[in-house]
Formats: sequence, structure tokens, C-alpha cells
Amino acid sequence: MKFIIFISTLFIVAGCTTMFLQPADFSWPVESVLKVNDHGFVSEERYTFDINVKPIFYEEFNDSNSVGGKEIRIIRDKAGHYYFTGAGFKNIYMFKSVEGGMKLEDKISISDSLALQKPAFNQKPSYVELTDGPNKYLVTGAEIVRSK
Amino acid sequence: MKTKIFLNVLLFLIMNALMFAQSDYETLQNFKSLYKQIEESIKNVSSVDECISISEKINNLRNEFMGSKTFLNKALYPENFESAFAKIENTLETKRTDLTQISTLTTQVGTLQTQVTELNQKNEELIKQINELMLKSERDQATITELKKLVAQLRGNINQRDLLVRDLVDSLLVEFIKSPQNLSPKESQAIMSKVNKANLFYNIERTIADNIQFTKVTQMTADDFSQMKKQYTDFDKVWKQIGPRLSSVYLNKKQKKSEIVQIDSLFIQWNAQIDGGIWRSINNLFVGKGIYLAPFNNSDLFVGNVSTFIDDEIKNLGVKSKSESEDVFHTFTDSVYNKTFAEKWLPVLIENNMMTQSQKDIIEAKIELWKKEATSSFSYWVYIITIAIILLVVVYIFQRTKKKSIKVE
Repeated sequence: MKFIIFISTLFIVAGCTTMFLQPADFSWPVESVLKVNDHGFVSEERYTFDINVKPIFYEEFNDSNSVGGKEIRIIRDKAGHYYFTGAGFKNIYMFKSVEGGMKLEDKISISDSLALQKPAFNQKPSYVELTDGPNKYLVTGAEIVRSK
Repeated sequence: MKTKIFLNVLLFLIMNALMFAQSDYETLQNFKSLYKQIEESIKNVSSVDECISISEKINNLRNEFMGSKTFLNKALYPENFESAFAKIENTLETKRTDLTQISTLTTQVGTLQTQVTELNQKNEELIKQINELMLKSERDQATITELKKLVAQLRGNINQRDLLVRDLVDSLLVEFIKSPQNLSPKESQAIMSKVNKANLFYNIERTIADNIQFTKVTQMTADDFSQMKKQYTDFDKVWKQIGPRLSSVYLNKKQKKSEIVQIDSLFIQWNAQIDGGIWRSINNLFVGKGIYLAPFNNSDLFVGNVSTFIDDEIKNLGVKSKSESEDVFHTFTDSVYNKTFAEKWLPVLIENNMMTQSQKDIIEAKIELWKKEATSSFSYWVYIITIAIILLVVVYIFQRTKKKSIKVE
């Protein structure tokens, strides 16, 4: 009887265990700088995805109608988070991939008053770097640190 | 002094700030832009020396970005740092080989050009002499021998010159094949300069014109026509490859474009002249033996007129005397059709698609029918003669055998 209970417990536990594929590296070696089309979409050719970025522009500028032709910069870190920003932005938007789209994980504020002028993401071994002229920020997950 | 130190420190700080501020994306774009510039310069390179300077640029690019090799290995997907350089170096090497080949051909073209000019002059003189001899009202044996000698010389010269001009055109064709479909202004200019230097259009026109003239001033054999037709076909094929591309090179040059059109029409004229010459010679072949066919200048007319002639002869079998009908039949079939036409001219016609196998079969079926009709009318005499000959032979053999047997007894 004890043996049957032991075997049943073993099967139930094995069935409930989540499979993990680890470690993984989702980082992109270089950011993608993409033009937004008139419908608010950007198209990434190397990693092959199309996504509507109008909500980001609405969140940032309260305007999602005049997005056509604007540039948005995207990079993915090792953990698989996507970071979005662009010229004129005051925030970095961190997303995670979900079924059929991306879900905002965090909105990382860079400055309350000054907008980014010439932002660029760089992939570093353990973090994503955001440069804007002489200013540099180190982004790890939702944390941002200004570096000198 | 203090100001100088201050400026140096300031410059160092600015440079440092700029260096640290550079994004990976910018590094990638810089690399791609410089790489593309080199690719473009390889496309437009026109000499082996330029290849050397491009090779240096490639080395400089490699050294400049060596520090970013790890980053570029990932960022240049699907290429990597080394494969990107291998690709561009291969392209440069191919271009260098092509240019070396073109340079060799250009030297050859120079030599060919001189030879062609000399042959043009010689041929002009020969055609003039032949014309003078042809116009002579009385042609003695010496004149005929001289004429034959000159014609043979002219034939040799024309062949030699044709080959030289073909080589000239081929060398240009090689260049076209190596170059992209849409030439840059620099490439177009280089081609134009080569065309002018080789006096190409004049030489092609001259070649065709001389060949046409040759068919006019000489009595050509089936072999001559066959050879000339082959020359025409080969040359026309090359021109059809090069002509349209030259047209696009000379898009805005009216005079040159009209020369290209003129050459196109000369090729058509040349072909027509050869075809006309062949049909005229075939007609002369029949006329020479007293067989008068209605005029023809293509296979349909030829087959039709031969059929009509045979039909008429069959109809006249009872009207004309037997010997006359037999003469015509034997002259047509034995002396002209089988002996010369079928043996020498028919292969030329079939080979050059001037007559089909089925048209040949039609004529031969007609001849077969004519033979049947004609032989049935005079077969009686043929049988009597044949039987008489057989009888004579039998009697002769019988008598000889009899004599031998008597001797033995």
C-alpha cells in the first residue's frame, strides 16, 4: 500500500514540475533603430517581428497620430527584456514578450525635465547601456544608474 | 604655454567624451558605410593599379575595426568580421583577374586593329582589280588565270580579316559579359573609348560590305557559300549579343546609334545576299544544262517550280519524242539533281534551314513518279536491248565452252 502511495506521489510531482531551459542568452548584440510607419508599426527584420508601437508614443507624448516616420530604438537584454526609447523620450520602456504581443514590465524614468537628444543602446555583458551624448546610463532590469 | 596645455587637455577630454559616447549601432553603421564605399569602388575600378589602392583601403578598414571584432562578429549577422573581409577580398580578386584579362585583350586589339587596316586596303585593291578584269570584253587564258588568282587571294584576305574583326568584337564582348547590365557612366565611357579606338563600327560595316561585294564579283561554289553562311551566322550571333548593349551605351549619341542600326540592317542585307546568291547559283546549275525552271529565290518557289517542271515533262511524254524526253529526264536527274544539286547544294540548304527534309522528299517523290512514267514509255526498247545483250553473252560463253571441250577430246 505504502509503495503504491509512493509511486502515485512520484508521478503527480513529476507531472506538476515546470520544465526550464537554462541558462539562456536573449541579448541582441546591437540595438535596432527602426522607423515607425504610418500605421504605428515597426518591423524588425533580423529578429523578424512586427509590432505596433503607438501606445508607447501615446504614453510618452500623449499623441499617437503623428508617429509615421519617427524613429524608435529597441534592444533586448540577456534576460529577454525588450527596452524601447527614442529621441525626445524621457523614459525607457521595458517590455516582456507575451502571447500575441509585449507587456509593459516597467517604465524607467531617466529625467523628469530633460528629454533624450541622441539616445543609443549598447549591449554590455551584464547590462544594457544607454548613451545620450556625454551622458551614460546602465540599465539592469528595471534599475537604472547614471554612470559618470 | 599654459593655454596650449589647457587646449590639449580640453581636446583630450572632448575626444574621450566622444569616444565613450559612441554607440555600438553607430560603430556598426560606420563599418557598413565604409565597407559599402569599398564595394562601390570595386564596382567602378578600371585599372589594376586602382585594385592595389583598394586593397590598402581594405587593410585599413580591417585594422581600424579590429578592436570591435567581437562586437562585429555578432552584429554583422549573417556575416561575421572575417567572412565580410573574405567576401570583399574575393570580389576584388575577381575584378583584378578580369582587368588583367581585359588589359591583355586591349593589347591584342591594338595589334588586330593594325592588321585589319592593312587587310582593308589590300582587299579594296583586289576588288578593284577583279572588277577591271571582269569588265574586260575579251578574256584570254592569262586573264582568266589572273582573275582566279586574285579571287583566291581576296577570298583568303576576306576570311582572315573577318576573323580579326570577330576577335575585336569578341574582346569587347568579354568586357560586356564581365560588366553589370547597367553600366556606370565611367564604364560606359571606357567602352566607348575602346570602340572608337578599334574603329569597331567602321570595321564591322567594312567586313560585311566586302563580303557582300565578294558575292557579287565572284562565282561562288557551294562550299564557298557554306563557309560564308557559317561566318555570317557566327558573326551575327556575336553582334546580337553586343549590339543591344552598345545601343544602351550610346543611348544619347544619335550618330553612333544610327551606325548600330545601319550595322543591323547590313547583317540582314548580307544574309539576303548569301541566300540570293545560293538560289541564283542553283538556278544557273539547271540553266547550264538546258533545264529552264521558273525563277525562284526561296525553297517554296523552288519546290513548286521543280514540281511544275516535272509535271509538264510527264504531260509531254506522249507529245515530245522519246529520245527528247529521255534526254531531259537523264539530264535533270543524273547530270544536275543527283550529281551536283543533291551532293553539293542540298546539304548547304538543309544545314542552313533554307530547305526542309520534307521539301526534299517532295522533289524526290516527283522524280520517282517521273521515272516511272518515263520508263514505262520507253521500257519496251530497253527490254529488247537488254534481252539481246544477254543472248549475245550467253551465245558467246556457250561457243567458248564448246571449243574447249573439243580440244580436250
